[in-house]
Amino acid sequence: MPTDTPADARRTAPRRHSVTAPRPAPPRRGHCGPSSALSAAVLVLFALFFTVPVLWLVLAATKTDEQLVHGNPLSFGSWQALRANWAALSGFQDDVVLLWLRNSALYSCLALVITLCVAIPAGYALALTEFRGRRTLLVVTLIVMIMPNSTLVVPLFLEINAVGLIGSTWSVVLPFSFFPFGVYLAHIFFSTALPRELLAAARLDGCSEFGVFRHVALPLATPAVALVGFFSFVGNWTNYFLPYVLLPESDQLPIQVGLGTLLANVPQFNPTAGALAVERPQLALAALLAIAPVLVIFLFAQRFLVAGMLAGATKE
Amino acid sequence: MASGRVRWPGRAGHGFVTPYVVLLIAFGVVPTGYAIYFAFTDAGDTFVGLSNFLAAANDFRFVTAVGHVAIYLICWLPSLVVLVVALALTLHRVTVRSASRALRFLYYVPGALAGTTGVLVWLFMLDPAVSPAAFLLHAFGFDTFGQVVAPEHLPILFTVIAFWTGAGGWMVVMYGALNNISPDLIEAAKIDGAGAWRTARHVQIPLLRKWIVYMVILAFAGGTQLFVEPQLLSQASVGVAGRDYSLNQLSYDFAFQNNNVNTAAAVSVELLLVGLVVAGLFVARSRFFDAD
Amino acid sequence: MTTAVGAGGAASFRTTRRRTASFACAASLVVAAVTACGAGGTTGVQHGFQPVPQTGGTVTVWVDATRLVAAEMYQKAHPSVSMNIVSYDGDANGSNYLQTKVSLFNRTREGWPDVVFSSQNNEVTWAVDAGFTAPLNKGLLPESLLADWAPNANDPCLVDGTLYCLRNDLSQTVLWYDASLMRQWGYQVPTTWEDYEALGKRVAQEHPGYLVGSAGDVFTPEIYLWASKCGANQITGPKAVTVRATGPNCTRMAALLDTLIENRTMSTSSVFSSDFDKNLAGKILMMPGPAWFGGALFQDAFKVPAGRIAVAPMPQWSGEEEPAVGNVGGGTWLLSAHSTNLKAATDFLTWVTTSDEYQGTEAPGYPAHAPAATTWLAKQNSSGYYAGDIAAPLRAAAGQVWPEWGYGQFSQEAIWAATVTPGLTAGKSIVSLLPAWQDAIVNHARANGYAVTR
Repeated sequence: MPTDTPADARRTAPRRHSVTAPRPAPPRRGHCGPSSALSAAVLVLFALFFTVPVLWLVLAATKTDEQLVHGNPLSFGSWQALRANWAALSGFQDDVVLLWLRNSALYSCLALVITLCVAIPAGYALALTEFRGRRTLLVVTLIVMIMPNSTLVVPLFLEINAVGLIGSTWSVVLPFSFFPFGVYLAHIFFSTALPRELLAAARLDGCSEFGVFRHVALPLATPAVALVGFFSFVGNWTNYFLPYVLLPESDQLPIQVGLGTLLANVPQFNPTAGALAVERPQLALAALLAIAPVLVIFLFAQRFLVAGMLAGATKE
Repeated sequence: MASGRVRWPGRAGHGFVTPYVVLLIAFGVVPTGYAIYFAFTDAGDTFVGLSNFLAAANDFRFVTAVGHVAIYLICWLPSLVVLVVALALTLHRVTVRSASRALRFLYYVPGALAGTTGVLVWLFMLDPAVSPAAFLLHAFGFDTFGQVVAPEHLPILFTVIAFWTGAGGWMVVMYGALNNISPDLIEAAKIDGAGAWRTARHVQIPLLRKWIVYMVILAFAGGTQLFVEPQLLSQASVGVAGRDYSLNQLSYDFAFQNNNVNTAAAVSVELLLVGLVVAGLFVARSRFFDAD
Repeated sequence: MTTAVGAGGAASFRTTRRRTASFACAASLVVAAVTACGAGGTTGVQHGFQPVPQTGGTVTVWVDATRLVAAEMYQKAHPSVSMNIVSYDGDANGSNYLQTKVSLFNRTREGWPDVVFSSQNNEVTWAVDAGFTAPLNKGLLPESLLADWAPNANDPCLVDGTLYCLRNDLSQTVLWYDASLMRQWGYQVPTTWEDYEALGKRVAQEHPGYLVGSAGDVFTPEIYLWASKCGANQITGPKAVTVRATGPNCTRMAALLDTLIENRTMSTSSVFSSDFDKNLAGKILMMPGPAWFGGALFQDAFKVPAGRIAVAPMPQWSGEEEPAVGNVGGGTWLLSAHSTNLKAATDFLTWVTTSDEYQGTEAPGYPAHAPAATTWLAKQNSSGYYAGDIAAPLRAAAGQVWPEWGYGQFSQEAIWAATVTPGLTAGKSIVSLLPAWQDAIVNHARANGYAVTR
């Protein structure tokens, strides 16, 4: 663990200074190396912890079921096996896997758009404007956030049935769009990262309240939009329970529930599965397809997610 | 504050939150109210007071499930908070941008594997016969999958799985929040002679307060609602973690296996109350709602 | 009770006369009321079954991926029938998907599938109370057709003499063995459990590492204790069960398993685990197990070469007159009481459970319908995979399933997994775990509203 020395303080110096860049030698330089090495070791160790299982999953998709059990866990199977797994997977109920992916994309994207339009202004208003019921709204949001899902499913089902939406795309998109976490995230962002003076200045300049939001807050809110959008997308993409209960038809299922169906057809997990069973490497391949969009979006969104937020915006 | 300024933004504030309030009522308040209504009535819609709560508490699975969830929370919360904050701070000290970005991506990757996929992967990771970490499992003295998933290990295993899938996302949030701290503050601390440890303790962590509280509340609520991991583990393994391992599973079983929505709702309302009390404590202690 | 019927409205109460325990009544009141919630409950009349108006239309069929072929074959052969084929998880591993959905459909009063396949045998324990299943032997299907099922095969579907589902396949247990190893080592296939145990001891001495069975699966009680006539699961009425899991019939088999586990000829790993596949699959001398072990386990999972695996009858306890075997699974088909096209639905149901085109030829498991089973066995024998005839022992076993072990709403497999398996892994003996097992069964039965006799 780092120790309290001026040398270490150097290491916390502003970003953009390379570790390797020579710096004026501080008096007790000796502490510096071991501490950094320890940090690096810890970071690498955790990187292994997070990635080895994923690497295993990637490799699993290139194996036959037999290789999966008998081969080295971290060995590459063969391209041929990968092709065979793909053929078997896409043969499962006539390409239903692609349909599931398409469904997931549709539900998540629609919900993402609605969530952003709803959550960002709400978080902004909760953080930076005064209105009657603000505190109540915050408290209610918090309560709903920690409400157990399993309870809400039956009432939600009845409610959606009452408005005649069962079986429609909106029956999952609308509940997906309700994203109190996102409102909270936006609220925290705006309340910690946006100086009130900036808004006050804009108001003095004669901006309307909407104008302040549109021209001052929103341009600075890219990280919040990215954060909320990203977590909303991932949350909806990986949501299992709600579509599981709300969608009756297998060709409406999103990929997560579809994976559950595939899992139930792997003989090792369900001995009653018969001759048309799914093999574990095919399941691994399906899982990879299911996570790929999330990873790609993360790669693109990461820049915004950790952007220097307002600090960078006001200084440069 | 001038009265004109309060009135004007007041109306605008309502305008900004209206769409959210509509969704909140439709998919938050109404179902929650409905659930609370369920918890205090019977199947014939008659008010029955606390009898659903008594029925739940008297079920032979209830006390064990409470125990399971409590032990899991004891493992899960401290490890999440300590490790996420520590790793985010360490990561923030990495000055090579590309390395930092790559590490954050690697840490995040399992976050995409929530639910079914994650448990599937761990079924293999924890099986000494096929795991890449078999040497570790053998070092702990485990030779078969059955020994690894022995009931007394489950809280730790669920903690590992939950940390694996969830920590990366929180690290991204913490890292973003750390970036948000003005470099001047850090520089000032440095000039005052503060080391990395003291800078973290006296400058960075206090400024992360809101985010940490937010994480604790959500992690606590998520922890009490433990469902997917034991459910899938019970389905896809030798079934050692029963279908009634956690309170949420018990509630689900009440609702759908025993066709008793009311008792299920009672369990959920209890979970909600516990979540509220804990959230309330944290919010009050950390002055979470202060608009400073 | 009268007021409760008034409140609940569902007429499934005519079946409750036998329920004496107050708890059972209370639980069923809840079920009935929930069922009827929202519509006043005019359907679900069980004994005097009143079909809903027959307006015809699309037949919705829910099947698991394995049975999807059956539905598609039928559609191909009957293009004029309007079918909506939906695949779901088949309630595998007790996922309760069907029950969840039906209880939701009961609230919305629409959406029920017409015909459903479930991989579970205990669906009627809730589906009758939920008013979902139509009685099949009260006019919908002729007695002559139903008489073709293997003896007792449809027992899981009976409630007070009324048939509420049709059995898809039987999973009677037999003794699988490696014929070439037995011949090579000069062993006789045991016919009694005593001989089986003695052979296990010999194998431990002469060929250590080889297995005579596996006790690591959740269906261990069904393979061994059921066949030993252990009365752990005697369902005596719709909501009544007798649990005697510590009697001599149970302890004799538990002791046998303990002996063989101790000398390592009985595995404690699940036959479906990677551990077993990797380290033990090539070491099987004998393996008591259900009919589907042949295809699913030896042929598909372990890839044992053709000409080695053979079937013998389950061993019996010496001195017992009636042979007894256990049963591991076997799915059921349910017909919805809400169907608006009972004619087409019934026709599909009949075809899918009895036809040679599907059950006799394509089905992965031993058909519960006896004539289809004959075709199926002939096809299996002609495949040349097995060493010797498998038809005679399997057909004999089909009629020997001990009828005193039933299907309650609680999962015996889950109970075994949660109470016995961890102890077994930790090195405890099964005999010492029987009392805890019994307590767990009793607790789960009571929680599901059963009146329990010990």
